[in-house]
Amino acid sequence: MATATNIIDLKDISVTFKTHDQTVAAVQDVDLTVEKGDIYGIIGYSGAGKSTLVRVINLLQKPTTGSVTVSGQDLQTLKPVELRQARKKVSMIFQHFNLMAARTVLGNVEYPLLGSRMSKADRRAKAARLLKLVGLAEYADTYPSQLSGGQKQRVAIARALASDPEVLISDEATSALDPKTTKSILNLLKRLNAELGVTIVLITHEMQVIKSICHNVAVMDAGRIIERGRVSRVFTQPQTALSRDFVETSTNVKEAIERIGSTVSIANFASNQELMYFNFVGQSTKEGVLSKLSKEFGIDVNILFANIDQIDGENVGVMIAILTGDIEGFNTAVTQWKDRGVTTQILTDANLKGGEL
Amino acid sequence: MAALIPNVLQMKAEFLQATWETIYMTFFSALISAVLGLLFGVLLVVTQPGGLLEDRLTYSVLDKVVNLLRSIPFIILLAVISPLTNFLIGTTVGTTAALVPLIFGIFPFYARQVQNALLDVDRGVVEAAESMGSSPMAIIFRVYLKEGLGDIVRVSIVTVISLIGLTTMAGAIGSGGLGDIAISIGYARFENDITFVAMIIILIMVFAVQIIGDWIAKKVDHH
Repeated sequence: MATATNIIDLKDISVTFKTHDQTVAAVQDVDLTVEKGDIYGIIGYSGAGKSTLVRVINLLQKPTTGSVTVSGQDLQTLKPVELRQARKKVSMIFQHFNLMAARTVLGNVEYPLLGSRMSKADRRAKAARLLKLVGLAEYADTYPSQLSGGQKQRVAIARALASDPEVLISDEATSALDPKTTKSILNLLKRLNAELGVTIVLITHEMQVIKSICHNVAVMDAGRIIERGRVSRVFTQPQTALSRDFVETSTNVKEAIERIGSTVSIANFASNQELMYFNFVGQSTKEGVLSKLSKEFGIDVNILFANIDQIDGENVGVMIAILTGDIEGFNTAVTQWKDRGVTTQILTDANLKGGEL
Repeated sequence: MAALIPNVLQMKAEFLQATWETIYMTFFSALISAVLGLLFGVLLVVTQPGGLLEDRLTYSVLDKVVNLLRSIPFIILLAVISPLTNFLIGTTVGTTAALVPLIFGIFPFYARQVQNALLDVDRGVVEAAESMGSSPMAIIFRVYLKEGLGDIVRVSIVTVISLIGLTTMAGAIGSGGLGDIAISIGYARFENDITFVAMIIILIMVFAVQIIGDWIAKKVDHH
């Protein structure tokens, strides 16, 4: 898939670290292509190799094997000076912001422009403009230590934009922030992607983050990408246990099943009752599938849990309910809605005990 | 006054000269040691394993030189180094000659302190600078030395104060200065007031360095 629209093209990347007595394979045989203008998420638990992988993109981490192409340039063939030039086009923001404490907010944003041919006045003007873009114009002369976490990350974003990057790598940039601040930072990234066209690669351990702004996602485990695709697809049809785990944690389905398991006993159900799990995607969330069918088959629906999300522009819903009535007829009817985005599953005691679907 | 410090009053001119000699020795050995110490300190940090310009050979040589020089007791260093002093200065006696052992006595100490100060600079900030395409030189000057400046000022104060202490020992090889007066006149002639006043002047110098240093450190630190 090495087309001209791919701004990042990693092939066969492996990174191994050697310590005294052992070698650790941090990243193994990873291919990764990111299209220009995309917001690409990489999700995985700590130690999965996400941070190591994204550092390969700007060669802060040299891969043991594999090739790294960014904007059509094979980074590994570049001389040190050329590599430094190329790095200016791949900016990075970090979990702990990594601002310079000895420089003012404006000084931090100005930093990437030091040593360029720009005059001091131009540098300061550009830095001031970027601070305005991230909403911190009035903090230009303060020092980072006086800012809140969210404000520090905004400064870091402004700094990252100073070199007019084509790619912005976000290394757990919201992991140290509270939910509200996380949301505002994610919205800012989304806006910058839309307004400046900067391609964003972000790594996180929270599906919530992927869900809010990414179009594509790769799931990493033990140094490998085990699943990838459109976020809406991975969300509704996760192919691996780990992806399912991330999805269920973020939709609260996991908690719901645990809660239901402690309050509902399927053994006490009447013969015309079932505990059922529904999954709705796209249009089906807007059509009254359930009310239509329940009327038709005289079904009573007792909703125990329901959640609707908008993911990458698509509505995605899950629901758990106790159905009472003509279950068989209802089931036959509901399977016909499958291609329109409704899937169901009858839950058993085993599901409830295991806390999984 | 005459009753309290009779001998001092008779030696005003000598005291004035000794004070200047101490200041002279401290100032010039501090100046040269600062250059050497900063150079060694920076090199130790950037050449260390995992450093910006990792170079195991350079690191281990510098590390061993610093350790070796720091292990020699100063009073012995004064004597041992005299051939080098003779070669560089042309004599082994006097205030200027004392600069050589003073520099070799203090710069390894300073280098180690600078190294520790720079190691405290957030590794993440250095990585950020690398990701922004900064060259190793730019990172040394614009990140390590700039971010570490507050700590460097603090370790410089400690170093200068130690150095003032060393200049008094240099009296043993005829360097002049307040240490020389305190021992070879005050102590040797049982003129205790001379020893005492020499000490007071040194204390004043130490306090002055501490106060000025603290003020500068506060100015440059924004943590």
